Amino acid sequence: MPSIIVQNIVKNFGSYIAVDDVSFSVEAGEIFGLLGPNGAGKTTSIRIILDIFKPDSGTVSILGGPMSEEKKNNIGYLPEERGLYQDIPLERCLVYLATLKGMENSLAQERVNKYLVRFDLIEWRKKKVKELSKGMQQKAQLITTLVHQPQIIVIDEPFSALDPVNTQMVKDLLREERDSGKTIIMCTHQMHQVEELCDRLVLIDHGQSMLYGTLHDVRKQFAKPAVALSTPDPLPALIPGVDSIKQENSDYTLHLLPGHSTQELLQTLVKANIHIEKFEIAMPTLDEIFIDVVQKQGAVQ
Amino acid sequence: MKKFWLIFSQEYKRHVLRRRFIFAILSMPIFVGFIALVSFLSVRMQYNGSTVGYIDSYSILSNPQPVPEKVSSLLPSANFVAYSSEVAARSDLNSEKIQAYFILSKDYLSNGEVTLMKGKKAGSNIESDFGSFLKYNLLAGQPAKVINRLTLGNNLIVRSADGTRELAANNWMAIAMPFIAGILFIIAVNISGGYLLQAVVEEKENRTMEILITSVSPSQLMGGKVIADLLVGLTELTIWIGFFLIALRFVPQWVSVGQTSNIDVSSVLLMVATFLPAFVMIAAAMGAIGATATEAREAQQIAGLFTLPIVVPFWFSSAIMFNPNGPIALGLSMFPLTAPIALPLRAVFTNIPLWQIVVTIGLLCALAAFSVWLAGRVFRIGMLRYGKKVSFREVFRPQSFQGK
Repeated sequence: MPSIIVQNIVKNFGSYIAVDDVSFSVEAGEIFGLLGPNGAGKTTSIRIILDIFKPDSGTVSILGGPMSEEKKNNIGYLPEERGLYQDIPLERCLVYLATLKGMENSLAQERVNKYLVRFDLIEWRKKKVKELSKGMQQKAQLITTLVHQPQIIVIDEPFSALDPVNTQMVKDLLREERDSGKTIIMCTHQMHQVEELCDRLVLIDHGQSMLYGTLHDVRKQFAKPAVALSTPDPLPALIPGVDSIKQENSDYTLHLLPGHSTQELLQTLVKANIHIEKFEIAMPTLDEIFIDVVQKQGAVQ
Repeated sequence: MKKFWLIFSQEYKRHVLRRRFIFAILSMPIFVGFIALVSFLSVRMQYNGSTVGYIDSYSILSNPQPVPEKVSSLLPSANFVAYSSEVAARSDLNSEKIQAYFILSKDYLSNGEVTLMKGKKAGSNIESDFGSFLKYNLLAGQPAKVINRLTLGNNLIVRSADGTRELAANNWMAIAMPFIAGILFIIAVNISGGYLLQAVVEEKENRTMEILITSVSPSQLMGGKVIADLLVGLTELTIWIGFFLIALRFVPQWVSVGQTSNIDVSSVLLMVATFLPAFVMIAAAMGAIGATATEAREAQQIAGLFTLPIVVPFWFSSAIMFNPNGPIALGLSMFPLTAPIALPLRAVFTNIPLWQIVVTIGLLCALAAFSVWLAGRVFRIGMLRYGKKVSFREVFRPQSFQGK
């Protein structure tokens, strides 16, 4: 049974429709991508899932039912707007926030320290939060999200202030969490991160769900008849059945005209005595799909 | 319930352990002490303890003796030297050997006529000192009890017509208590309310709110904060009252302050019963303002408006004192925002019917509960708003917020 089931949620702020009939579900042991351009309704959807906002209509089931005070202890949340108490020492801040998630003080202390070591922040534990750099605060915020070992982890732009080393560490951590059976929802604009991490995704634009499914299905759905080709030989300007050619060094992307197959193209190239180093069906990147969907939606609007 | 206490203790420690709080605690007695010292010094500078002459040509005083000095007095009193003629006295005044001289007229005993010639440096104390000197020497030979009574004056006790209430005219504490307590109340309300407001606005500004709200319920969060900030205010108040009591213990040694022992327990209870619900009411309202305001400075300005009605009874204090059952006194003592100051003040001067006390305190308690409820509601709507205020319509519209 999915950990989170979102069914037909709608949320209006006055005359503005922030979320319009969005549905999806998230399983335990997967990283689920919640994508969309700025102002698409991602954060509002998340706030509805976390019971910060009540939806105007629709339902959310979390860990088998509506949100309760007890379930809050089982949720780790990294909000888009990062927030820590700036005027108190880092360790005290993290331990306090951990105890608010139902942890005993001594256990919270122990776990916070383990994470501080792992996140390379242990030397900073007595420093006031405001003395930490943005990246360090981001890591501290991640500790707050994970320290109470929640069943459900909701993270909004987790890599925004991190350098490549820390980004990799957080990725490893998220994979670890997923492999241990946690449910993870990740909101982001960084499509390559989604491609790398997410098992399934939903794309929201203008409050509406535009795409929903596994990463592979979504890409297949948007795959146009195109071929990625590598060859040391120059290609003729006109190839029968090819609509357009894009070249980057010795790599080409060939878009086919409707009604022509990749098999025909391969035969044509072989007949023309062109040496082929790589020939594969080109799948669109998530970036391309994102732009494509959002632009189409913008045109409709 | 555990989370409520966590919020409570974090909020309390957060304020009390700050350097700013310790500074605020100490600044009040230091400020009052400084004002008292400056006032004392300005009075002391006008006093002059040097010699004053007098000419008693008609021997009204026989064998004059100096008034025995009070050991503990911090202010100097002039000593008096007799001159046989005005010429000698004037010459000494001119050469500043004496600061002034008095001339007792021939008919002094019948018409009390005395002439005073002052030099430039004459102190403001010489007239009353000479009065004491005359009184002391004129009464010479009378029994000590009589001298004492005439020197100290009467101990007037004013009783209300129904005989249930009495007030010693020189028991200034009974009158000053509601004033002092009222001022302390206003300061404490401002401090605690200010802390609450600051805490809520801070959590909005530093974006901790979303983390908190996904960890605890809004009522746990708001309840813990209101109670903690109430206690912060009370901590401050208790320490100040401690300083005040210490001052009362020592000040009478130096300055005559009248009776201090007759503080009525029932009036203290009345103050506590009025202050506590009023405190919760105002603190919660300030919390609500914090939740609706978009930045700390704006919230502080709105909160300032709350102090205004609380201090109104001070402007009308003479109306309350001289006509404690009049419409102004009655209205101010029953209106919730003015009641904390007006009710205890009015109780000093009249017997307030029990029903009025019950209604006033009942109303305050009801408003306190309403205020906490409203704060929770406004807070739920306003907590994640940045740069946009919460409107009244939204607060009272059902279903627009996160329900429990």
